[in-house]
Amino acid sequence: METYFLPILVFLVCATLLGIGLLAVGSVLGPKRTGRVKEMPYESGMDPIHDARRRFDFLFHLVAIAFLLFDVELLFLYPWAVARGGFAQAGLNGGLIFGEVMFFIALLLVGYAYAWRKGVFRWR
Amino acid sequence: MTAIILEALIKIALLIGGLMTAAAYFVLLERRIAAWIQDRRGPNRVGMPLTKLRLFGLGQPLADGVKFIFKEEYTPAHVNKVLFVAAPILILAAALAAFAVIPFGSMIPPDWFGRTEPIKLVVAPGVDVGMIYVFALSSIAVYGVILGGWASNNKYSFLGGLRSSAQLIAYEVPLGLGILAVVVAAGSLDLEAIIHAQTTQGWCFLLQPLGFLVFVVAAFAEAARLPFDLPECEQELVGGYHTEYSGIKLLLFLVAEFLHMITASFLIVILFMGGWHLPWGLTGDPAAESIGWVPAIVRIVALAVKIIAVIVFFMVVRWSWPRFRFDQLMALAWKVMLPLGVVNFVVMATVEQFGGSLSTGVKMAIGWGTFVLSWVAIAAAGPLIADNRARHDLHPSQIDSQV
Repeated sequence: METYFLPILVFLVCATLLGIGLLAVGSVLGPKRTGRVKEMPYESGMDPIHDARRRFDFLFHLVAIAFLLFDVELLFLYPWAVARGGFAQAGLNGGLIFGEVMFFIALLLVGYAYAWRKGVFRWR
Repeated sequence: MTAIILEALIKIALLIGGLMTAAAYFVLLERRIAAWIQDRRGPNRVGMPLTKLRLFGLGQPLADGVKFIFKEEYTPAHVNKVLFVAAPILILAAALAAFAVIPFGSMIPPDWFGRTEPIKLVVAPGVDVGMIYVFALSSIAVYGVILGGWASNNKYSFLGGLRSSAQLIAYEVPLGLGILAVVVAAGSLDLEAIIHAQTTQGWCFLLQPLGFLVFVVAAFAEAARLPFDLPECEQELVGGYHTEYSGIKLLLFLVAEFLHMITASFLIVILFMGGWHLPWGLTGDPAAESIGWVPAIVRIVALAVKIIAVIVFFMVVRWSWPRFRFDQLMALAWKVMLPLGVVNFVVMATVEQFGGSLSTGVKMAIGWGTFVLSWVAIAAAGPLIADNRARHDLHPSQIDSQV
């Protein structure tokens, strides 16, 4: 069973090493020059006024939360989608489980409608 | 164990070499297509080094690569050093490693080294959670973008990183919904098994046109291609999250971006357009355990031709469409694509659950009926969420109440 995932591990290591190797080659071959102006953050030629990491719009947090909600919903549905074929063999009532999946989606749609009414998706 | 690792290493070397070369030459192809669309010549000068042969500009990618390597590998003083260096490596590794479960052909016959089983043309064959794995890695790309934007400590980078992370996570939801109906129809998350299911059931973009639409739009957004290239819209954010990057680190970001587009094309072809399958038995018996050399090569060529066609489509779209505004982008994801994805999933799951005896023609009719009806419903329901044009006849508060 582990052998299924062994090639993936090898691939991940190879891909990471490729990135590190390219960076190493670049740092060996490239020139090295620095200066006061070069060290400044690029702001189209203006002198930077303050740190870049400031407060930002709260909507980004709301989108992240809505994303978590729906992405986890999807992850719950994948096992059902794969296991559907074996329900009859296992003696389970496929129609009932399908009804439960639809109920689950209906519950999520209630939350979706609430988020829409609350203006989570309003970007103006 | 050693044999498995050795086989995997050979495949990985082939795949990484092929992908890096393909990415370089697709850049050239894209520039030539851009030139063709804008009635210019494009890069056609660089050919064989040390000679005067021009070869339609085929030397351009090599020259670009060499130039990138000899540029200064520079890390500015105001950045967070560790994260700044980690971001490009992370995004490249994730973009490459997604190909571990994506088949780049079907299989080739076991004529060599005394093997008895055919060699599957995928780095990790038989991984039964393949689709979830691709999903997981495409989520890691978000980390690369947000780390790059945050670590740069630059206002343009920060805004670009914020925007693109919001865009990427917003479109991940329709992406998953589009795939879900295909998984229900195929009953598996293994990409090879999904292709096999399509050889008997018919290609999914004919059966589930709505899911195909949702998935293609989401794939464009995930690959950050126009009309969804807000992460790096040059006119507003200079370079977006990679404003402060240069040299090889910038190259890694750009290659990763191209790899995302290639991954998206692979997924579109494999999930919705039958992968290596061609109708009328051109690709041999799909159910056979082992195949001869002719169908094996026909399958590889069929897959490659379909993928190149999708990539050319990506490029033509890039040079034909203007960019979305950010509020339009989010409205499209949450108010149009998400409901369409849910409708597609509910209809297709119902058909699969209760319509087992329906013929392919009836299933196709249901799919296209859903497609047309939901299109009409979206167009009728909210002109402001489906329409890009400015409404000067409405008061701003009226627009706000509708959006």
